[in-house]
Amino acid sequence: MTDLHRLVGSLQQRGAGLTLDTTDLCFLIVLRDRADRAALASLEEEILYDVYEQVCDLTDPGAGQVRKRATHALQRLRQQRLLGRVDGAGLVRAGEYALTRLATAIVDFFLADEALTRDSLTILTRTLASQLTEIKSEASRACSPEDWKVRVSAPLRITVADLISGIERRQRGMDAQQREVREEIGRLLSKDWFSAVDACEDLLASTSTTLRELNEVLLQDTSHLQALLQEIQDLAEAAEDLEARDACLRVQEQVDRVAAWGGARLGAWSDYFQYVQHYLRSVVRLDPDRALSQRLRDQLARWVESPFYLIAGQAPSAWVLREPDTRPIRPAVTRPSRNRESELLPTPPDQASADLEDRIRSALEGAHTLSEVLREVLPQTPAESRYLTTGRVAGLVAREARPHSDLERPWVEVEDLAIEDWSLD
Amino acid sequence: MEHAYPTLQSVLEDEAFPRADTALRRGRHIDRDEAELYGFLCEAQALLEPFYRRFGMELVRLEDGYFYLLPVDPHVSRRRLTPGAMLAGQALALLYLDPSLVEQAGVIPRSRVLELLGNLVGEDRLLQALNPRRRHRTDTAQQETIRRELDKGLRALEEMGFLDRLEDEALRLRLPLLRFADPVRTLADPAGALREMLSRGEIEVGDEEEEEDE
Repeated sequence: MTDLHRLVGSLQQRGAGLTLDTTDLCFLIVLRDRADRAALASLEEEILYDVYEQVCDLTDPGAGQVRKRATHALQRLRQQRLLGRVDGAGLVRAGEYALTRLATAIVDFFLADEALTRDSLTILTRTLASQLTEIKSEASRACSPEDWKVRVSAPLRITVADLISGIERRQRGMDAQQREVREEIGRLLSKDWFSAVDACEDLLASTSTTLRELNEVLLQDTSHLQALLQEIQDLAEAAEDLEARDACLRVQEQVDRVAAWGGARLGAWSDYFQYVQHYLRSVVRLDPDRALSQRLRDQLARWVESPFYLIAGQAPSAWVLREPDTRPIRPAVTRPSRNRESELLPTPPDQASADLEDRIRSALEGAHTLSEVLREVLPQTPAESRYLTTGRVAGLVAREARPHSDLERPWVEVEDLAIEDWSLD
Repeated sequence: MEHAYPTLQSVLEDEAFPRADTALRRGRHIDRDEAELYGFLCEAQALLEPFYRRFGMELVRLEDGYFYLLPVDPHVSRRRLTPGAMLAGQALALLYLDPSLVEQAGVIPRSRVLELLGNLVGEDRLLQALNPRRRHRTDTAQQETIRRELDKGLRALEEMGFLDRLEDEALRLRLPLLRFADPVRTLADPAGALREMLSRGEIEVGDEEEEEDE
């Protein structure tokens, strides 16, 4: 850890860094290729200028002052330790240069990505399966945390992860290959039409071989890999080694990703394969001279002046009769009806009232004032109802006789009551 | 050779029959992309042809690889494609034949249709074909009318199985689009081919309203 800190500090102090644009990168790759082809350990300065001009033509056509740019590029690459002068002659004569280890590693990275696309996916997965089988047997024998770390976790983290990364690079290669095949088929058909049918079918067939390879990975290898990983994970859990278990989970995720990628590409390629086969059969073979397009183009251009219309069926949708709607009819909200009339009760006739009226009428005969009538009637009435009876007497007297009174009616005492008296005619 | 369907009853009892029948009667073209229905129709073709003939319709199978129902009895209700659908259909058929689209497996952006029609037919003639009675005061209104009519046409073509509309305004072209190229399939005589299609009831010519008036 101390070394790492020292290294970081040293890099920071020196301001180390890498700046590579596309032209520089392509320049390094072409230099490497030139050196490999000619089996040269170093390249003369003039060759470097030639190579840079060629690369510049491709990456930045029309750029001016190429020689000057090349000089700056060489200087930049030397400063970044990507290119080293190996002749040791200084300024005395033109130098000889070689790619440094750093430049070789960078070039290898880009070349390796391409090269891996040509590897067999099957070989990689089988190698992976064999590694996992070995790790599984190591896991079953591991009896100490150190054993788990060295024999299980580390290989899972490094060897297996590297192999899966290799598969993923291979997948990218396959993507590129399928794109190339699609472009190539389109180019062939545009250029040669009917003559291109065989070549297109060959291309489809060769890519179908890749598809079969992919299918194998999908259907057999990935499930086998997952089963091995599951067993290793079970052993790790039994031994309570969390590091190994987590490493297993990470690898399982990577394998899942490989399988998911495969499924998606398989579906896409399958659709494309079918489409091209239909196209070759129904378009190219039926129109070997490729005259149909031109005639259709003419037909479309003339259509506005002489239109015609295609006919097809148009039956209305079938009527599906619905079940009769049998929703229950909800009655209006009501209260149960009841007889609001109170029941009549038999009551004996009110004889007392009739008697009172008789008594008043008889008292009225010969009486000259209300008080005289009251004096006649009230003594025969109970004391508690005399006030009420006085009112009834006054009422009946007013109806039956002709009462009149002075402006100031005299107050007269009758029994225990006092009344305003009336005179009667 | 043993037939998959020995009797018409066995055809009608197949689970695929109601779906195939409904789709065909509504004017849909069924190709290999609809694998189940296409397979059913291939196997039941011999029994379905006389069956549909009794309804005044012809079950047509093209060697390109698709089926459709053609009304031959004048009393059977029929669909006549609109000018917008006809123009869009022919443009799409032309694009279907274009080898440069093989790379995208026949998927094109919708704008290609308008672009192609603009180049081949021209905006004024397009407008004349799509909406001959209406006068437009501005270019924007003209373009809007063209877009609207073509969009209606594309919807009709989708219903009839000529294309699928995908996300992002993309269209996937289907094999039945070649029906639009039928009049020019043979080198001999396009006018004669049109007359023959007319006599078979596959196409109609002239203004629809004029025919109705007659």
